[in-house]
Order: sequence, then structure tokens, then C-alpha cells
Amino acid sequence: MQIKIERRLETPKIIYVIIPIASIVASLLFVGILLLAIGVNPFEAYGVMLTRAFGTKFGLTELFVKAAPIILTGLAVSIPLRAGLWNIGAEGQLYMGAFAASWVALYFSPPSAVLPLMVIFGLLAGMAWASVPGILKAKFDLNEIISTLLLNYVAIYWVEYLVYGPMRGKEVYNFPYSDLFPDYAILPRFLGTRFHVGVIASFIIALVIYILLKKTSYGFAIKVVGSNPKAAEFAGTSREKMIISAMLIGGAIAGFAGMMEVSGLHLRLRAAVSPGYGYTGIPVALLARGNPVFVIAAAFLFGLLYVGGSAMQTTFGIPVAIVDVFQALVVLFIIGGDFFTRYRISIGGDRND
Amino acid sequence: MIEAEFIASLIAASMRAGTPLLFATLGEIIAERSGVLNLGLEGVMVTGAMTGFYVSLITGNPWLGILAGGIAGLLLALIHAFFTVSLKVDQAVTGLMLVLLGLGLTGFLGRDLVGKVATYLQPLNVPFLSTVPYLSEILKHDPLVYVGIFLVPLLWFLMNKTRYGMELFAVGENPEAADTMGIHVDKIRFLAVLIGGFLAGIGGAHLSLAYAKVWTDGLTAGRGWICLALVIFSGWMPQRAIFGAYLFGGLDVLSFKLQAIGFGVSYHFMRMIPYVFTILVLLFSVIKEKEKFGAPSALGKPYIREQKF
Repeated sequence: MQIKIERRLETPKIIYVIIPIASIVASLLFVGILLLAIGVNPFEAYGVMLTRAFGTKFGLTELFVKAAPIILTGLAVSIPLRAGLWNIGAEGQLYMGAFAASWVALYFSPPSAVLPLMVIFGLLAGMAWASVPGILKAKFDLNEIISTLLLNYVAIYWVEYLVYGPMRGKEVYNFPYSDLFPDYAILPRFLGTRFHVGVIASFIIALVIYILLKKTSYGFAIKVVGSNPKAAEFAGTSREKMIISAMLIGGAIAGFAGMMEVSGLHLRLRAAVSPGYGYTGIPVALLARGNPVFVIAAAFLFGLLYVGGSAMQTTFGIPVAIVDVFQALVVLFIIGGDFFTRYRISIGGDRND
Repeated sequence: MIEAEFIASLIAASMRAGTPLLFATLGEIIAERSGVLNLGLEGVMVTGAMTGFYVSLITGNPWLGILAGGIAGLLLALIHAFFTVSLKVDQAVTGLMLVLLGLGLTGFLGRDLVGKVATYLQPLNVPFLSTVPYLSEILKHDPLVYVGIFLVPLLWFLMNKTRYGMELFAVGENPEAADTMGIHVDKIRFLAVLIGGFLAGIGGAHLSLAYAKVWTDGLTAGRGWICLALVIFSGWMPQRAIFGAYLFGGLDVLSFKLQAIGFGVSYHFMRMIPYVFTILVLLFSVIKEKEKFGAPSALGKPYIREQKF
């Protein structure tokens, strides 16, 4: 007996809907088993997760607050991915954005210029951080996955160094915090919740990127470089330029996310700026298949996980790491399922090539 | 004579700190030689570290812990092998998810192990050598350090002088040709990924049971990624991997050692250095040795036999 793998000539459309949904359900089941293993009733745990996110005004705004940075990191991964590059460094770019914005917030004047400068410095810092792997990839073909990832550690330890050392606040006792930002360096909030103006900015950025990718010649060129480098070269598109620019845009967006987190939420620089939003950008980008509108949807799914994850932690003492497990499982199920959209398996017959 | 003692202890500590890196790098060399890139090394190592720590804690036997660490690594690699070799899924995506999975699972399941004290590997007393000054210091290690050293010539021999090695190369360089010659491409790739995972798991377990002697969340702290860089640095050759691994082991311990003798640079600042250094070394290897040592030609590409259009 021989198992044969054949390319599908046509893929039924319904498969593209079934696979993500089935993957999410399967991952929930899997995580449920893990929860049972440590003695937590999964139905109760998921119940707490949903009621926290949707049951209160606080929870619902918190969902937006958590989804916003994930929209941005999802975009920061998506744009280079369209050019065929893996930006695993959104986390580090976010931290550098947070650092640069905090620096402006704490030491710059006049007050009226501080917020705009924080945005600009946040964007530039993220860009600068992403430019290194972009240039190394374009000029020396250095694997961007490894370089972006290594730079994450550098950025995170850099921020750690600052909040334990030069930027540590005067009134923070032994916590790794900077001083609180002055009022003029804080993003406005609404509804008496943590819903800040950066959330709205995230949506606008997603729409801008949608237009950039779908409606401009630049967006088209990126796509060609990513999907068919030979054709791009033939058409005279500079691969180097596209690689570097895609990384720069991605880095800028992640840097803005860092600025938004310190200025909208933490109100100071601290060692833990992000619980791993940069990495969450990867499954988000994969789920969204490069479409910024789908990035928003996927970001809400994972935002729900973060809101629910912290609810599960406070209620049952479940480590937030469960969110990582869920993310990994969803993607594994989806890409595993993807196989069936491209190939079908037939069993039987003799071996004959 | 403080300087000589300092250098002796630095060399010794570099070897200990480099051993987890050595195991994982050697494992990854095998996997990549077959054409499969396992970016999930960080997740595999951390899973080995936690599982090893846990098993040693409950059984009191660190060797069972090391074995369990290897098996845990192998199981995670099994996922990678199934997705990338059997299902022909993108190797980068699967590998990245393995990192998330490994870090997530160990953070979740290992929460009660934080702060516990397991039974650790003890240094071996080599007869005679233990009495020589300095040398005794440099050579006083747990047995796994020596296993790691021994693995290097063994793998070199297996890869360069045996049929297994030839088949491994063939599959990684030109799977179509290998297939035509009757070599089972998928089988070899599957096995190579599993062996790689097993070794990386042992590396992780060495980290928690012999070097760091502790379990904390995310214990590996990027070592898996450093190992991926070391594979490139070593030109996919075991005999060069050991230098890279010990060098980075040395960087790892340097910050502690310098602090101990009162060197006035912040510990947090020093922590950045191995990662910056890795990027520089990587860049150097890529620029300098492009012509001499290439990556396996089929690295990262799934092999699908039936390509009918």
C-alpha cells in the first residue's frame, strides 16, 4: 500500500472558512485538557474569560486597549511578510519605541511639543531598530529571523538596564520603573477607563496600511518582490529597496506601539512594557494572510486571550503563559489544515513513478 | 596569582556554560544538514530544561532528568518533523510556533517548580588530573561536558566517513537526486529532526541540572537563537561548533565573573553583549565565508515527490 500526496487542482471555498474556526475550537479543547491537568474546570475558566471581556464596561474597553498594540504588531509583521521577510523583531522595535518616547517624555520641553515628539521619536526608534536586520538582509543576505530575534533581547535588556540604572525614578522604591510621565506626555483617555486615543490611532494606521498595500504601486511592488522575486527583478523593482523599506515601515509601526503603551497605559517606562505583543503579531499576521483588515479581527481574538488570560490568572492562578500555548496551537492547526487546501491524500495503489 | 586562577575558572565556566549550546548546536547541524531548519530550538531547549528539572526533582536522579529532557525535546521535534516533513508545511512558521509552544507549556506547567531545588549533576573527579593545579580546575566538570566533547569527533566521523553521513548530505543538498538513488528522503529528514530535538532537549536539561541549577520561566533566555547563529558560524561542521559554543559560554559567564572581581559595569548592560556579539559574529561569518562553507542547498525547502503540472 502506498500513501500518495497529490496537488489539488481546485480548493473548495468553504475550506478557508472551516479551517480557522476548526483550529480555534481544537485549540480551545487542547488548552481545556491542559487546564484539567492542573485541576481547573475549563468551562469555568473560559466562562471567566468571556464574562471579563464582555460582561463589564471595563472589560470591553480593556479588550480594545489590549487589541490595539496587537493590531500594530500584527501589521509590523504583515508588511515585511508580504515582501517575503519574517520580522520576528516587533517586540524589540516596540521596546525601542517605548524607550525613545519615554526619553522625550521625561527630559524634553516645551510641554506642548512633547506628545508629537514622542510619536516621532517612537516611530524613528522602531524604524532604526528594524533597519539593522533589513539592511543586513538586503546587503549580506543575513537571515532576518535570527537577527530580528536577537535584537529583541538587546532592546529588552537595554530598557531593563535603563530602568534599573540611569532612568530609574526617584520615587519608585526598588521597582524597575522610571518616574511617572508629566501630564502633558500622556495620551488622553475616554469614558473614565483606560481606553486611550492610541486605540483609535491603531485603527487608522491599519486603514492607512490597507490603502498602501492594496491601492498603491508600492503595495503592488512589495507583493511582487515577496511572491515572485524573479518577476520583480525583471520589472526593474529593486529588491534591496523593497526589503529595507518594508522593514522600516514595520519597525515604525511597532515603535509607535511602544510609544502608545508607555504614554497611554503604563504612564512611565518600566522593564515589562509588553507581555509579548511583538510575538503575538506573528500568529496575527498569519491568520490575517497579510490583509490589514483581517489583522484587526485577529488582533481582537488575541486581545480577548490576553484579557481572559489575566482574568484566569487572578481567578484561578493560571499562568498567562497559557496564552502562548493557545497561539501556537491555533497556528499549528491552521497550517496543518492548510495542507488539505493544497493537497489531497490518496491511499492505495502500487509504487510507481 | 589571582589572574591565573581567574582565567582557569573562566575557562572552566565557559565549558560548562557552553555545553548546553554545544548539544543544541550539534543537534541543529544534523537537522539542517538534512535540509530541515528547526527555528524552534529555543522552545525545544526550554522544554528539555523544564522536563529534566521536573524529573530529577521527583526521582532524585539527575540522569533520568537528562534523559527525560532529551525525550521531551524529541517529542517537540516530532511535531516539527510531522508538520515540515510529512505535511510539507513552511519550516519557518512551524519552528516559530514551536518556540511559542515550548515557552508557553513550560511557563504553564513549570509554575510550581520555580524556587524548588532538584538533584543536580555532580562534577566528575578525574583520577590523577584532579591533583594538578589549574588543570584540575579547568577539567572539573560534570560528565555531560565530556559527553559533549566526545560527540564532536563522533558526529564528524558519522557525517564525513559513513554511509549515513553521505545520505544525510545528499538529502540536504539535492533531495531529488537522492530520491532517484533510492534514498528515503522523508525518512532521513524525519530522523535528523528527531535526533536534533533529542540533543537540544539534553542541552536544555544540562542547563537546568548542571549549569544554572535552577528552573525559572524562560530559563534558556535566547540560547536557542544563539545556537541557530552558531550553526551558521560553524559552517554546519561539528568540529567548529565546539569553539563557537565555548566562546559564547564564555561570554555568558564573563558578566558574572567581572562583577565578582568588581568590574564596574551594570549587570543589565552586560546581558546585552552576547546578543550583540552573536549578530556581529553572524555577519562576519556570512560576509567572510560565503564561498567556502555554504548552507545545505535544500535547507528550508520541503521536498514533495510528486510534482505534476
